[in-house]
Amino acid sequence: MYKNVEEYLSALKKELKGVDKATLQDALSDAEEHLQTALAADADSLTAIIEEYGTPAETAQAYAEVEKRTAPALTGSQTKKKSSAIGRFFAIYADPRAWGALFYMLIAFITGIVYFTWAITGVSLSLSLSLFIFGFPVALLFLLSVRGIAWLEGRLVEALLGVRMPRRSLPAPKNIKILERIKELLKDKHTWVSILYMFIQFVLGNIYFIIIVTVFAFSLSGIAIPVLQEFFNIPVVQFSHSDYYLPQWEYPLVILAGILLWTAMMHLIKLVGALHGRYAKAMLVAEQD
Amino acid sequence: MPTKKFQKEMNSGTASLVLLSVLSQSEDPMYGYQIGKMLNKNRDIALRMKQGALYPVLRSLEKNALLSSQVEPSVSGPPRRYYQITTEGDETLKEWLEIWQEMKSFVDKTLEGESHV
Repeated sequence: MYKNVEEYLSALKKELKGVDKATLQDALSDAEEHLQTALAADADSLTAIIEEYGTPAETAQAYAEVEKRTAPALTGSQTKKKSSAIGRFFAIYADPRAWGALFYMLIAFITGIVYFTWAITGVSLSLSLSLFIFGFPVALLFLLSVRGIAWLEGRLVEALLGVRMPRRSLPAPKNIKILERIKELLKDKHTWVSILYMFIQFVLGNIYFIIIVTVFAFSLSGIAIPVLQEFFNIPVVQFSHSDYYLPQWEYPLVILAGILLWTAMMHLIKLVGALHGRYAKAMLVAEQD
Repeated sequence: MPTKKFQKEMNSGTASLVLLSVLSQSEDPMYGYQIGKMLNKNRDIALRMKQGALYPVLRSLEKNALLSSQVEPSVSGPPRRYYQITTEGDETLKEWLEIWQEMKSFVDKTLEGESHV
């Protein structure tokens, strides 16, 4: 009945119309995980596996029922978790998403440079060498590498930003001529968007890096001022011959300001990380409907 | 078919209890496919629960903090969500088992006709 997992998923998606967005996401990823795992583990056909798993209608109904039943209990457990505003503000340090986003944004500085260099080199080499016969293998290699990089970046985004990047196994037709394959890759919008992503990543990576380093330095300086003044006798401001020291009563204030600034930054990083994840998904994942 | 509907209701009524106790007995975290396979191993095909119906129950147990989960990549195939029972889940399971025992003996007694006495 269903030729592949994608077909089942889109049928399930249709059946799930009207349920809450998160439930839809859960249902699709559960089904994808189960069917792919079963396909990899069993010798059974997809039809037999679906027979065991349930039709899209049955599965959709199961999610809808559970959602209906658990909604009140869920609101109960949420009120229990509620803590003070200050507690929630500092809870960011225990949030793996925020640290993942921070790490991702720092890495983006490096990957951005690598992507940019690779894309520039690849595009110009492919264009100029296409005058010659041996330009075609070069172009093909470059276009395939773009696919590979898009996939790799997807893994990175999924691991660090927690955005699911569904893996579409790309059908790689064999026994077709290089020229045909290149034509196919060139016609695919996905290739161009991926190259565009590689260029943009360079800009974003730089911006992320500069902002993070600047704010970090600023926060750290706030926290470090008392230590520098008291133990190392380094003034806060130094004009040609006059040193300016911060009065001691201001120490708690600058320390507090430093801590608050970086904590706020962590929230911002988490937010931007989530946005970047959505943008990466839109760019790197071939549309599915 | 009323019998089939009854079977489905029995399955969904006991799913939370069954899943929670499976994960409480298991030492390692388990993923959905593994759990479904284990549960259906010794059951008659007609009595089997659709495996797709297990996942929403797992999700809702997790939302209620009785289970925790973690997505991990697998060697072959897609990443899997591994579920593990929480301390809260273990405590809740104890309460559920008491309810289950009471329910079981009540139903048994009723079926044997003792409740008329």
